[in-house]
Amino acid sequence: MAIVEVGQPRILENKEGMRTTPSITAMGKNGERYVGVTAKRQAVTNPKDTIFSAKRLMGRRFSDTEVQHDKKLLPYEIKEGANNGVDIKMGDKWYRPAEISAMVLQKLKNDAEDRLGEKITEAIITVPAYFDDAQRKATKDAGEIAGLNVKRVINEPTAAALAYGLDKKKDEKIVVYDFGGGTFDISVLEIGDDTIEVRSTGGDTHLGGDDIDQRIISYFVEEFKKESGVDISKDQLALQRLKDAAEKAKHELSSTLQTEVNVPFLTADASGAKHFNISFSRAKLEELVGDLVKKSIDLTEQTVEEAGFKMSDINEVILVGGQTRMPLIVEEVKKLFGKDPHKDINPDEVVALGAAIQGGIMQGEIRDVLLLDVTPLSLGIETLGGVFTKMIEKNTTVPTSKTQTFSTAADSQPSVEIHVLQGERAMAHDNKTLGKFILDGIPPAPRGIPQIEVSFDIDANGILNVKAKDKATSKEQSVRIEGSSGLTDEEKKRMTADAEKFAAEDAKRKELAEVKNLGETLIYTTEKMVKENDAKIKEEDKKEISDKIQATKEVLKSDNLEEIKKATEELSKVAQRVGGELYKQQPSDKGQEASAQPNPENEIPEEDPKE
Amino acid sequence: MSDEQNIKTEDGLNEKPEKCVAEKEEYLNNWKRERADFLNYKKDEAKRLEEFVKFANEAVILEVIDIIDDLERAHQNFVKQNLGGQAAQEGLDQVLKKFQDLLKKYGIERIRVEGAFDPLLHEAVAVPSEDLGEGRGGTEGDRLEELRAGYTMHGRVIRPARVKIIK
Repeated sequence: MAIVEVGQPRILENKEGMRTTPSITAMGKNGERYVGVTAKRQAVTNPKDTIFSAKRLMGRRFSDTEVQHDKKLLPYEIKEGANNGVDIKMGDKWYRPAEISAMVLQKLKNDAEDRLGEKITEAIITVPAYFDDAQRKATKDAGEIAGLNVKRVINEPTAAALAYGLDKKKDEKIVVYDFGGGTFDISVLEIGDDTIEVRSTGGDTHLGGDDIDQRIISYFVEEFKKESGVDISKDQLALQRLKDAAEKAKHELSSTLQTEVNVPFLTADASGAKHFNISFSRAKLEELVGDLVKKSIDLTEQTVEEAGFKMSDINEVILVGGQTRMPLIVEEVKKLFGKDPHKDINPDEVVALGAAIQGGIMQGEIRDVLLLDVTPLSLGIETLGGVFTKMIEKNTTVPTSKTQTFSTAADSQPSVEIHVLQGERAMAHDNKTLGKFILDGIPPAPRGIPQIEVSFDIDANGILNVKAKDKATSKEQSVRIEGSSGLTDEEKKRMTADAEKFAAEDAKRKELAEVKNLGETLIYTTEKMVKENDAKIKEEDKKEISDKIQATKEVLKSDNLEEIKKATEELSKVAQRVGGELYKQQPSDKGQEASAQPNPENEIPEEDPKE
Repeated sequence: MSDEQNIKTEDGLNEKPEKCVAEKEEYLNNWKRERADFLNYKKDEAKRLEEFVKFANEAVILEVIDIIDDLERAHQNFVKQNLGGQAAQEGLDQVLKKFQDLLKKYGIERIRVEGAFDPLLHEAVAVPSEDLGEGRGGTEGDRLEELRAGYTMHGRVIRPARVKIIK
């Protein structure tokens, strides 16, 4: 369940605080009706009055082969109802499948109203792409029984495509691969002028994540038997614990290659407690379920062919359903189509989000809102040591403004050069220069004391105004940069990709610059301390400080990070010891020195040393 | 000025200022609406953040609870088979109590398994009849036995208690 808020879709949690709700309804023996996870929790105690998979019966005739097939498997009673439809027995009453479905929708409506504090009157409901007109009509009826004005019934794969914004890609062909908990659905869509057409559907209504869990459990049971000689395949409680462990291991193996499965005190025999402990690898998991994944890939191929397309005709592939987090599935799908599938949106939530977007479009909230641009790359200025200090991060919605106070990098520095840059790299000279100006007339003052207020302002037209102002004199300078986002798409892509590519290298260079800044700052403050307290410092201390300063200055000429760090640290130790002794001599001055400490990140040198 | 000339054209004389006023109203209203949307969004976001912080530890807590389950199993096993002597069993008991105190400190309470079966708090697990005698397919109102502890966090069920229903 999702809503649109300030033009953006958002998943709405139910009353139990969960982001998804199982479609299960039950009538308790006490006459209480349960919907969602509570119905699921009581299912084993009350199988005859717990209704799940009502979706399979919606809009169907009782005589349909699917219904007759399901009748044998379902633990609850069904019979032929009015208009040859199906009736379901729950408690003492018979209901139409739409009425059962309405109970789930009613719960969602109530939960949403509780969360939002507003009445919910309209809804978009999604259905599988293979639903026929009667099934869609029944779904609409269910919404109306629940008191909702159903604005539209849309296909689940279409909703997924909407969530990824693919509806705007004219003439594209899209495959939606939906591997859920219990079913596998595949849909081939084609985007038309104003429509998304379903070209073919396929899948397996009895293939899902649960089958994968079952394979893992069977493997665990066998391994345990090999290890301990005990067969627990009939022990429901032990199996339940193995099921928990299997689910956990499956989730973990989506992000790691190896996991430890550890179920202590699984069972006991005459010789005492038996524990289950194995190391389970992703490779083993893939071996266990490879054929299930293969089956899904075969079905996908078949469905694409049925649509009259070749694999290479497909422009986009979307993954839906929790099981698609499995790396093997992503890999196989990628291999089949030769392209990376879309998987950035939570696969359990993508359909609901797409439905919310459809709702938003129909209400005009998404398409008709003022389209606000975002800054494609970060904007900032160069600070001490050639470091790029970001003022406005990339993807910030404009119009926007940011102000930050900087200072000078040297004593009596008369001016600062504001070097405006755009990009994602850590060092200034790797980014693109947008403009430069000098603010001069700064009254002589020690380093770090003057306050230079730098403000960045981007208006709705993307025009960037950068202003620097000396707070002491109120003197200011500014530059106006038009078309700061006038980069071509290729440039933007290249700059963003470079930032990723050079991230590690840049971080190293930035660290070097920072360490150098730190060393220089320390030399500066130590020299200042010695100058100001000349009479109070012992000669031998002065000598030691002077030696260490010299040594630090020497290594600062190099780019040896470790050496600089070491020399700075040694200098820092001596300076701190001597400083500490000074404080002991005059305890009332405590803290003053610290507050005047310069901060290199906030310092702007007089001019770019590289020019 | 070209703007003035525009306004002074024959038919533009009356229309233009009115159009301007209407546009100004529309823009002002849109801006007010945006501001209001933003302020409301900020309020909602603050509420959401509060909730998020409250439950931020949920995932870690659930993993810790898993380990507490194992410790409890070990404890039961020791007691049942009288292993390690009474002092060791008491020690383990104290460790478990410390865990429960820790959980309590963060608003996590153990769900009490008593009274009637309540799907809001309990999850029923099927148990084959041969293991239990007649105790299968029970109904609400039957006696419950805890198989795995359940917990609430700030009043919300983060893990229901798994129970066996005994007639």
